[in-house]
Amino acid sequence: MSSAALILRSRRLLPAASANWTPLSTALILAALIATDLALQPALLDVFQIGLEVETALTLVLLGLAQTLVVLVRGIDLSVGGIMVVSNALAATWVGGAGGTHQWLLLVVLGFGCAMGALNGTLVAFLDFQPFVATLATWTIFNGIALWILPTDGGAAPPALTRVVNASIGSVPASFVILAGLLIFWWYLRGTRFGHAIYAIGSDEDRAQLNGVDVRAVKLAVYSIAGLASAAAGVYLAGTTSTGTPTAGDGYILQSVAAVVIGGTSLLGGAGGFGLTVMATFVLTIIADVVAALNLSVWVSVAASAGLLLVVVGARSYFEARWRPET
Amino acid sequence: MRVAALQSLLRQRAPTVSAYVLSAALFIAATAYTPGFAAPTHVRQLLIFASFVGFAALGQTFVILAGGLDLTVPWLMAFGGIQLSHWTGTTGLPGWVNIILAVAAGCGVGLVNGIGVAFLRVPPIIMTLGVGGLVQAYLLSIGLLQSQGNRIPQIAVTVAYGKVGPVPVIPLIWLGVAIGASVILSRTAFGRRLYAVGSNDVVARFSGVNVMGVRIATYAVSGATSVFAGILLSGYIGTAYLDIGAPYLFASIAAVAVGGASILGGRGSYWGSVAGALTLTFLSAMLPLFNLNNAALDIVYGAVIIVGVYLSRLSVLFARRGGSAS
Repeated sequence: MSSAALILRSRRLLPAASANWTPLSTALILAALIATDLALQPALLDVFQIGLEVETALTLVLLGLAQTLVVLVRGIDLSVGGIMVVSNALAATWVGGAGGTHQWLLLVVLGFGCAMGALNGTLVAFLDFQPFVATLATWTIFNGIALWILPTDGGAAPPALTRVVNASIGSVPASFVILAGLLIFWWYLRGTRFGHAIYAIGSDEDRAQLNGVDVRAVKLAVYSIAGLASAAAGVYLAGTTSTGTPTAGDGYILQSVAAVVIGGTSLLGGAGGFGLTVMATFVLTIIADVVAALNLSVWVSVAASAGLLLVVVGARSYFEARWRPET
Repeated sequence: MRVAALQSLLRQRAPTVSAYVLSAALFIAATAYTPGFAAPTHVRQLLIFASFVGFAALGQTFVILAGGLDLTVPWLMAFGGIQLSHWTGTTGLPGWVNIILAVAAGCGVGLVNGIGVAFLRVPPIIMTLGVGGLVQAYLLSIGLLQSQGNRIPQIAVTVAYGKVGPVPVIPLIWLGVAIGASVILSRTAFGRRLYAVGSNDVVARFSGVNVMGVRIATYAVSGATSVFAGILLSGYIGTAYLDIGAPYLFASIAAVAVGGASILGGRGSYWGSVAGALTLTFLSAMLPLFNLNNAALDIVYGAVIIVGVYLSRLSVLFARRGGSAS
């Protein structure tokens, strides 16, 4: 092949193709896993069972929304787990404590999550901290706050919250409705000026600034919304478990990053989206499900989860790196 | 002339200097509050604990300087202790041979990380997360096979508790390793290539640097130093368990950040990470003195990391301004 053809190939034709491949390959991986899971446990094909599956995934979906937004502006948020446990602890003690008579306090909890996100946003956007370092530090701080509110597992979620989380509209479980609501919110957000600004900042911050995007304000807003979504994850977790777990966050942090990457959102910012992350969250949930269904010993389960993560991301990264232009 | 040279050195090393100032300030504050903090026996212990953070941060510094991140550190530290005590019971080889084998195995795991990141282009955070999971699975599997208790070879225990005069051996090893690492980073071609890859890998590639090779090498170094850290730590504690390395993931990255390095690569030094390791160790030793519970400890710990990183950045600005005025 001549060099001109090579340039054409690398610069124009195939990158577009690979961009279209991302949602498709994620969907294929998900479909394969769902098929495997159903073959192993046919009883899962049932509205109630699927509702439970969605309920299990939804905490990670909310954290995935937070992580996706931040990653799209070329950041990373390690404090999502910290914000989650603070709001989880608040929901199980402060809100649930008084017999759950002041449900509106849950809105204050979400607002507090937003404020914690705004702290991250301030450190990153206005004080020029590297996102990884800033959120590594705030993660520890938020974990400390959560342990201060609720030193050990316990407390009680407000009964109304538990009722809402376990409710169903007709035969449609609440988890479906929440998931659908989040996806609609995302599709709306993507079309707004704010949504465009997020993608613009992720692809090229300087050019976005030159084109009139207020980069700092948008980043602050992104981290604040991420805080809000993480707080929602904590509140939701309190609702599903009816109790508070101030140490639950750490396990979710790398999972949320993994969900973003498996979905195909680029850690370099500007490409991908929440829809991909939702699919990837189900990939992770169903991997855990399949591994559990096979009833293997602990170490085989751990190896299978890690191995699948590496195979999925490894294969995708290898092929995409060879299709993309050398930049 | 000499003053000018000193000034320019300070300018270049401003983030590192600020990290040492922070650690010294913490040490002085703790000593003022509790004079026993500076007692020789306590200082010895502090230096030993700081060494473990320092060893874990060594590989992490190499990897981060080249633009990566290594999350396998805690699992490879556990591997160092567990695999070694497993082999001590089964291979019948001398302790030092087993140690070399374990460190080599860590190096091999690092190679796998490096190949995944550099060749397959898997994001470092995902590659090392997955490989860490595989190492964890492996450790669980040999944990099941292991019927008798832990047998840390005598040589690891001897080294861990050894002293040269009044100075324990572990910090001395750390000092030697730190000098070696800084010579490699600042005086060798490999070191210069490493910084080139970290600051801009495209420019580095066009300048003829074997980007893939440099990246893979940093992960191999990290694998080896993590296992080494795990062996010394389990020798010191006298046992090995799965979570032995858990605190060192956060600490190794935080030490690099507090030491003034850019977490995106290309900027920083191992002496900075040494200061970061000292800062974190002093901090976690002094906070219990103030009767703080774990919750408050976490909060202060995180706040000090923010302050430390911010100071190191301010120091750069300050040094630049001072430079233009003179």
